[in-house]
Amino acid sequence: MKLRLSPQTLLVLDAFLDHAEDWKYGYDLSRVTGLKSGTLYPILMRMAERKLLETEWEQGEPGKPPRHMYRFTPDGLRFARANATAHASGRLGQVALGRVPLGLVKA
Amino acid sequence: MGAPRTLAAKLLGGVARLVPEETRDWAVAMLRELDFIEGDWAAFFWALGSTAAILRHAVSVWRGWLKQKGKKEAGMNNTGKKALGVGLGILSALALVGCLFAGLRIIGILFPGLGLEHSGWAYWLAVMAIPEAIFVVATVLLWRKKGPIAAGILATGLAMALHVGVHFAMR
Repeated sequence: MKLRLSPQTLLVLDAFLDHAEDWKYGYDLSRVTGLKSGTLYPILMRMAERKLLETEWEQGEPGKPPRHMYRFTPDGLRFARANATAHASGRLGQVALGRVPLGLVKA
Repeated sequence: MGAPRTLAAKLLGGVARLVPEETRDWAVAMLRELDFIEGDWAAFFWALGSTAAILRHAVSVWRGWLKQKGKKEAGMNNTGKKALGVGLGILSALALVGCLFAGLRIIGILFPGLGLEHSGWAYWLAVMAIPEAIFVVATVLLWRKKGPIAAGILATGLAMALHVGVHFAMR
């Protein structure tokens, strides 16, 4: 269940850890993390392949096409929490990428 | 719907149709997100990034498929090599027995005084005892490095021993 913890992956893990039980959408994740689709989706695919993420099609209103949603599996949540240090580095990664002011980094 | 958004939808839709089954879900997921992106150009760039991600994933799926296929073929080649080795062992063993038998006949013809033509023990020695001893030695020596050939030789030796056993039992 190895996942290369690049700064971008840490950003994604960070986004998923925020209200971890909620389903999340690709575009929303892209806005939260600031990652382009070409960077975000390969990370999501790898996480799903390693069973860190579960995916589902949202059954919306009739006539509207379904939307793909993602959230942590129990393993994924454990993995993210076990990498708490890496999680902190994710915040630092955000700082490095200029997306979060240094003052907002949790200790 | 502006032209960039239309182009984006067509691009992602086309890619989604082309890619393997494992990637298609993801391609469709990215296509669905287009409806929630504000701005035609943002949608266009989303589609461009998504296309790159889909193609990279599709390439990795195809590469994995090719690797698996290659492994299967390598497995078949190994089986073929083993079968060839066993066949070679059997042929070598039979050739040895044939040579000994022919040698005995030639000696019998060349030296009729020896009376080998009518000597039961000479045939037993040439066709059974000597080859079996050679088979045992060869099997032990070849077992580790040339296992399939050794197995072929051993199988021939056992078949011959069985044949002789049945022959004596019938008498």
